[in-house]
Amino acid sequence: MPNEPVGVLIIGAGASGAAFAWSIADIGTSVLCLEQGPWMKQKDYPTNGLAFEARGMGEFSPNPNVRQLPADYPVNETETPISPLMFNAVGGSTILWAAHFPRFTPGDFRVKTQDGVADDWPIDYETLEPFFAINDRMMGVSGLAGDPAYPYHEPPLPPLPLGRLGNTLARGFEKLGWHWWPSDSAILSREYEGRAGCINLGPCTTGCAQGAKASTDITYWIAAQRKGVQVRTGCRVREITVRADGTADGVLYYDEEGQLQEQKAEVVVVACNGIGTPRLLLNSRSPQHPNGLANSSGLVGKNLMHHPYAMITGIFEEPLQGRRGPIGCSIWSHQFYGSDPSRGFVRGYSFEAVRGLGPAQTALLGMMQGRIPWGAGHHDAYARLYDRTATLLAITEDLPEETNTVTLDPELKDSHGIPAPKVTYRLSENSRKMLAHGVERAKEALTAAGAVDTIVDPLMRGAGWHLMGTARMGTDPKTSVVNERGQAHDARNLFIIDGSIFVTAGGVNPTSTIQALALYVADSIKKNVESVFEQP
Amino acid sequence: MSDSRTPVSDEAFLDAVLDVVIPPGGDGRMPGAGTLGIESIVAAAVAVDAMLGPLVRAGLSAVQEAAVARDPNGFTALTPAARLEVVEAAAESHPFLMLGLVRYLYPAYYAHPRVLAAIGEPPRAPFPEGYEIEPTDPLLLEGLQRRRRA
Ligand SMILES: Cc1cc2nc3c(=O)[nH]c(=O)nc-3n(C[C@H](O)[C@H](O)[C@H](O)COP(=O)(O)OP(=O)(O)OC[C@H]3O[C@@H](n4cnc5c(N)ncnc54)[C@H](O)[C@@H]3O)c2cc1C
Repeated sequence: MPNEPVGVLIIGAGASGAAFAWSIADIGTSVLCLEQGPWMKQKDYPTNGLAFEARGMGEFSPNPNVRQLPADYPVNETETPISPLMFNAVGGSTILWAAHFPRFTPGDFRVKTQDGVADDWPIDYETLEPFFAINDRMMGVSGLAGDPAYPYHEPPLPPLPLGRLGNTLARGFEKLGWHWWPSDSAILSREYEGRAGCINLGPCTTGCAQGAKASTDITYWIAAQRKGVQVRTGCRVREITVRADGTADGVLYYDEEGQLQEQKAEVVVVACNGIGTPRLLLNSRSPQHPNGLANSSGLVGKNLMHHPYAMITGIFEEPLQGRRGPIGCSIWSHQFYGSDPSRGFVRGYSFEAVRGLGPAQTALLGMMQGRIPWGAGHHDAYARLYDRTATLLAITEDLPEETNTVTLDPELKDSHGIPAPKVTYRLSENSRKMLAHGVERAKEALTAAGAVDTIVDPLMRGAGWHLMGTARMGTDPKTSVVNERGQAHDARNLFIIDGSIFVTAGGVNPTSTIQALALYVADSIKKNVESVFEQP
Repeated sequence: MSDSRTPVSDEAFLDAVLDVVIPPGGDGRMPGAGTLGIESIVAAAVAVDAMLGPLVRAGLSAVQEAAVARDPNGFTALTPAARLEVVEAAAESHPFLMLGLVRYLYPAYYAHPRVLAAIGEPPRAPFPEGYEIEPTDPLLLEGLQRRRRA
C-alpha cells in the first residue's frame, strides 16, 4: 500500500531535524521524519556496565567505520587527516556528543567584514538570538550568565560544578589573567522538565544512562511527538525525487525490511549532517538536476569544514578526580578567539577543557605516547598517569575551501547499495599555524595550573565531530546552495537545516548554532507558509 | 600439553602471556592480567578484529614456537625470565603483537572489579550510583562575578 503523502518530510532525526520538527509541528500539516537509525534505550548505554570503556571503543565508537552497525553507512576517510564522526539513530550524533554548548559569537557571522577572508553570513547573531534562547530551554542548558565573550544571555539552569579538575584548570587561567568561563552545557545541573540531573557518570560520549545529557531523542522528539510529528525509524533515504519543474516531491527510501518505498511530500527538509546531506543531494540526480539536487552552483559537497583540534594533556602530581563529571563540560576560554595579526594567522580558536580519562583510556593513551610500557614497569608508570591528567582542546576555526569536499565514492557502497561518501580534506597552512599557537598557549595554561609535564597531539585524527559548510547559505544562487532561510535556490520547497549550510565554522562547537538555525528556518517557513506550499 | 592448540584459544597459554604483558605488582596490590579470567574476552575480541586479529595471532604463534624450541612443554613450562625473553623477541619481530593485544587487554583488565578497587575506584559500573564531585571554588566564582557582563 502506498504511503500517505505528508505536508512536511524531514530526513534525519538528529540535532537539527528534531528541533525543526518540534517547531514546524505548529503549522498544522502532517509532519513525518524518516531516520535510518533506531530509537536508543538508556538501559543499553555502556555506563550501565563495567565494560563501558570497551563498548565505547566498539559498538558506541563515534566512528561509523568502526561501529559498522546496521544503521551506519561507511565513509571513505583515506584522503583526510581527520576522521568524520557521527551517530545514526533518533537523536543523531547527540546520542554520543559531549554537550559542550557554546554559541557562535556575533563576529563569527561577519568574517569577511572583519578579516577579509571567507564570507559573511546572510544572517546575524541578533536574528538567531531568540532561537538560541528557545533552544537553550528545550535542551536544558546549564551555565553562568554574564560571560564577557558573549552578548548577555541567561542559561535556564545553574552551571555544572567544576570539580577538582575544573577548579585546578580555572586557577591556571586566573594566574595568567586569561579569559575563562564555566561552559554552557546541554546537561542538567538539576532536575528539569521531568529529566534527572547529572550524576557525573563521566563518559557522556557513549550515551547518557541518566538522561541528564540532552540528546534530542529525550528532549525535542518527546515534545514533537506530543504535537503529532511521526518518526519512522530504520528508513534510509536513497534519493529525493522531483517534479517536472524541478521542485521536490518526496523521496525513495529503504524501509526496515529493506523494501524500497516511496514517500510523497509537499516540503522536503534535509537534516542528515554535513556529510549525509551532500551525499543525499549528490545521489539525487535527475534530468532537472543532472549534477545532483540543488547543485546548480556546483557547491554541494564543497567547502567542508571541521574544527581541526589539538589535544594538550597536562600531567599533574595530585589526583584530580577527573574521570568523574561530564567529560567535555567544565570550562572554556576565548582568550585567543578572533584575529590578532601579530599571531601570524587569521581568525582564532577557543579552548575546551576535558576531564580525565577512564582507567583503560589512560592505559591506552600512555601506551600510544610511550609513557606506559607493558611488562615490569607498567604499574608504576600507570600510577603516575591515572587520575592525574587534564586536557585542553584547541578548537580552531577552519576556513572554507572548495577543495575540501564530500563526494560520492565510485566504489564504496552502504548495505543498500547506495554510494558512500568520500571525504577529501587538506589542513590549511592557516589552521596549522593556529594549532601550533594553541599547543604552546595550552602548555602555558596547564603549567600555570600546576602540570609538571604535557602530552601533545598536534592534530587529532579522531576529532571530526563537527561537519559543516557542504551546502552553504548565501543570497547569490551562483555562490551558495540555500538562501538565508535554508531554502534551496534551485527548489523552493526543499530546505536544508543542518551544519551543511554554515558559511564559516567559528572556533567553537557548532550544535547550539545548528539548532538555533533549524528553529529559525522553521519559524520563517511558518511565517511564509503560502509561498512555500504553493502548488506549481 | 596445551601448546598444540591454536595460541589464542589455548587459555593457559594466553593467560601466561597476558601475565607477562601486565605482571602482578611488586607489592601484591595489582593482580597479574593472567589471573583474572579475562583471557576469553581478549581472545573473543581478537577473533573478530579483521585488521589486528591476524597480526596478533601471528605474533602469538611466534611466541609459542619460540617457547617450544626452548622447552617441548611450551610457554607455560618456561621460567618467568625465559617467558619475558620469548615475548620480547616476538614483540620485536611482530610489531603489531603488543598493539593488538593491549588494545583489548587494557579495557578488559581495567574494567575488572579487583583492578578498579586496586586503583582506588569503586568496583562497580558508573550508573546508577554515579559519583560526587567537588563544587566550584567560591573564590573563582567571586572573580567571575566581578568580570561578568551585565
Ligand atoms: C562524539 C561526538 C561528540 C560531540 N560533541 C559535541 C559537543 O560537545 N558540542 C557540540 O556542539 N557538538 C558536538 N558534536 C557534534 C554534534 O553532535 C553535531 O554537530 C550535531 O549532532 C549535528 O546535528 P545534525 O542534525 O546536523 O546531524 P546529526 O545529529 O548527525 O543527525 C543526522 C541524522 O540523519 C540521519 N541520516 C543521515 N542520512 C540519512 C538518510 N539517507 N536517510 C535517513 N536518515 C539519515 C542519521 O542517521 C542521523 O540520525 C559531537 C559529535 C560527536 C559524534
